[in-house]
Amino acid sequence: MGRIFLEHLGGLKLFNCAQCHTNLTNRSQLISTRFTGATGRAYLFKRVVNLTFSAIQERVMLTGRHMVRDVMCKNCGAKLGWMYEFATEETQKYKEGRVILEYALINEAEGFPSEAGGTSH
Amino acid sequence: MNMQSTAALSSSTAQGVAGGTSDSGSSTAVEQPAGSDNVTNDTGAGGDGAADEVAQPSSGHSNNTTNGHDVKHNGFATNNNGSNNVGTVDGENNRENNSSGYSGIHLDKSNQEIIRLIGQYLQDVGLEKSVKTLMQESNCYLEHPSATKFREHVLVGDWNKADADLKDLEPLIDNGKSSTIITEMKFILLEQKYLEHLDDGNPLDALHVLRSELTPLQHNISRVHQLSSYMMCATNHDLYQRAKWEGKGITSRALVMERLQTFMPPSVMMSPRRLRTLLQQAVELQSQDCPFHDMAWETNLQTVSLLTDHCCSTDGFPMQTIQVLSDHCDEVWFCKFSPDGLKLATGSKDSTVIIWDVDPYKLTLKNRRVLDGQAQLNVSFVSWSPDSKLILVGGTEDSHELFIWNVDDGKLVVKFSQSLDDSLACGTFSRDGNHFVCGGQKGQLYLCDLNGTLIDSWEGVRVNSVAFRADNKTILAADNHYRIRGYNFDNPRSDFDILREPHPIMTFSINSADRLALLNVSNQGLHLWDIEDKCLVRRFQGIRQSNFAIHSCFGGVNESFVASGSEDKVVYIWHLKREEPLAKLIGHTKTVNCVSWNPVYPSLLASASDDATVRIWGPKPTGSNATTESDDCSSSSSSSSWNMT
Repeated sequence: MGRIFLEHLGGLKLFNCAQCHTNLTNRSQLISTRFTGATGRAYLFKRVVNLTFSAIQERVMLTGRHMVRDVMCKNCGAKLGWMYEFATEETQKYKEGRVILEYALINEAEGFPSEAGGTSH
Repeated sequence: MNMQSTAALSSSTAQGVAGGTSDSGSSTAVEQPAGSDNVTNDTGAGGDGAADEVAQPSSGHSNNTTNGHDVKHNGFATNNNGSNNVGTVDGENNRENNSSGYSGIHLDKSNQEIIRLIGQYLQDVGLEKSVKTLMQESNCYLEHPSATKFREHVLVGDWNKADADLKDLEPLIDNGKSSTIITEMKFILLEQKYLEHLDDGNPLDALHVLRSELTPLQHNISRVHQLSSYMMCATNHDLYQRAKWEGKGITSRALVMERLQTFMPPSVMMSPRRLRTLLQQAVELQSQDCPFHDMAWETNLQTVSLLTDHCCSTDGFPMQTIQVLSDHCDEVWFCKFSPDGLKLATGSKDSTVIIWDVDPYKLTLKNRRVLDGQAQLNVSFVSWSPDSKLILVGGTEDSHELFIWNVDDGKLVVKFSQSLDDSLACGTFSRDGNHFVCGGQKGQLYLCDLNGTLIDSWEGVRVNSVAFRADNKTILAADNHYRIRGYNFDNPRSDFDILREPHPIMTFSINSADRLALLNVSNQGLHLWDIEDKCLVRRFQGIRQSNFAIHSCFGGVNESFVASGSEDKVVYIWHLKREEPLAKLIGHTKTVNCVSWNPVYPSLLASASDDATVRIWGPKPTGSNATTESDDCSSSSSSSSWNMT
């Protein structure tokens, strides 16, 4: 399999995979905490790294029909949530390309301030 | 010699014109009285008087304009001389009439130019007789007779005559601003005249030149002022130094002549050593196109043969598998030859490092020892100390320990750990072997001595890959913001940006000249940067990499090449100068994680793969199945550079 290359978004408040502690994203990427997944609370993030994606699936949610992919940790393979490929409802378009991580499957950790030019690529 | 060829022209021209139409004949007649007093100059031919008369205009005394015109269009081919409507019949006559001497071969423009190049070359090497014969037989001119005279006068230092010759040349230099060019040429002549007077110790004559010849030209006043200051030079030596001048004589005059030549159209006077210049250009072009070119090899006319196209030999280039090392029992993630080229270290997911002995003559490797003291550590990198005695071994992101082994006795020298929370996934010895640096994505960058004592650390950086620069002070680190930055622990500490990619930098290495960085960029490929100029030099094409940390390396003779592993199971090799791979080495059955080129024996390349093997790539066996292509190439003198045996 080779040595898996893992990125790190850095930042002050980190979100990591609960199983293997691989960094996934940070607080500055957080869009909303008011989502719900299979395990309960779920967060919507702008950008998440170190993921692998499943094949595209159609899912009907409370907010309408969506095309989504499940996302897994690139390092340990644990299922973490899903990402939105396509939202049929016009009002839900803002979610396209964003990632849901289920809160029960991730950890919060402290990071450290890094200098300018860091997190916004 | 050139006088002779002038005469050759004149006699054939004379006969051509004589046999021609009446109007060209009459123009000859008109010339006759005007040129008659110059006939004595051209006695060499010994032909009939009329021939010499006709020749005079070409020496540029009376009918300059037309002659200059002719020169441009005909390139001195005597067959075309005279008015164009004389036509072919005249040419025939000419040939018949000349049958006693030499045939009047008609050469087109390019052939004439080649003959002139050859003639000039023969003249440069001193084969005067051959030049004479060549020019007679081909009916070509080496250069315009006026130019020849001009050169002779300059070289003997007859400045007055040279000045007069310039008047003859003026119509030949017809590009619309000939007067300024003539002024510049006069200036150059007078400069030399002035300096020679000074050299002779005749300041009064020099002053005269300055006052009544140079200054009235009203040209390049600042240079005139500079020239006047040379008047104050105490000694001749002082004069040479200040004027950057060779002193009176043939050398400095030849230099003056070269400068003057540049103002003249090539049909009048060729630039010096023209054939050599052309050949040198050809050699340079061939070197640029040579796929295996050894870049430290300066190609010039002395170092390559002109008889075939230059092509560096591929003998000894690692092109095929010569050994498969299958002692590891899991994915092999890293391989690195020692600096002395006599050992190879391979690191595997199976938690072992194997040290292999290299036999540089048989080009075979032998398992020397297995270092398995780092239990549960998936070995992701190995760094050699510069004396090839120690190795630094580390694992992946979840590892907080580093190990230093002595490869000779197989003993663990240092086990380094700072904190259980650390992630130490990259590290390297300094180039002088006194320190090592290590780091990881949890935000550590440690500088340590060889006892594993922490000397210093840098807070707040998350690094993927590190390298030392040649000063042994600057540490380069690829960080999580897709940058490579420099860190200097010296007091006062400093850090600075070197480069930034738009995608994550997985691994990188620096060449031994400490100038180029080779980056494996996630999802992008292999990028070459100049770390001094901080610019992207090249994107190498071919490799596939997305998920795995793949390592590349510089290597080959004089590090003229780069190689990289790839997720498509292939080892790629490129020349530093070209984007397209020059070789794809096929053999592994899974992702190739790492390659290492032997720094001392460039015929050896090692590659480590997920298929749990390490492949050693070497030259094709010599002898029977050498291809014809490589036979051709072996004529060049570089074949020794790859051959290690």
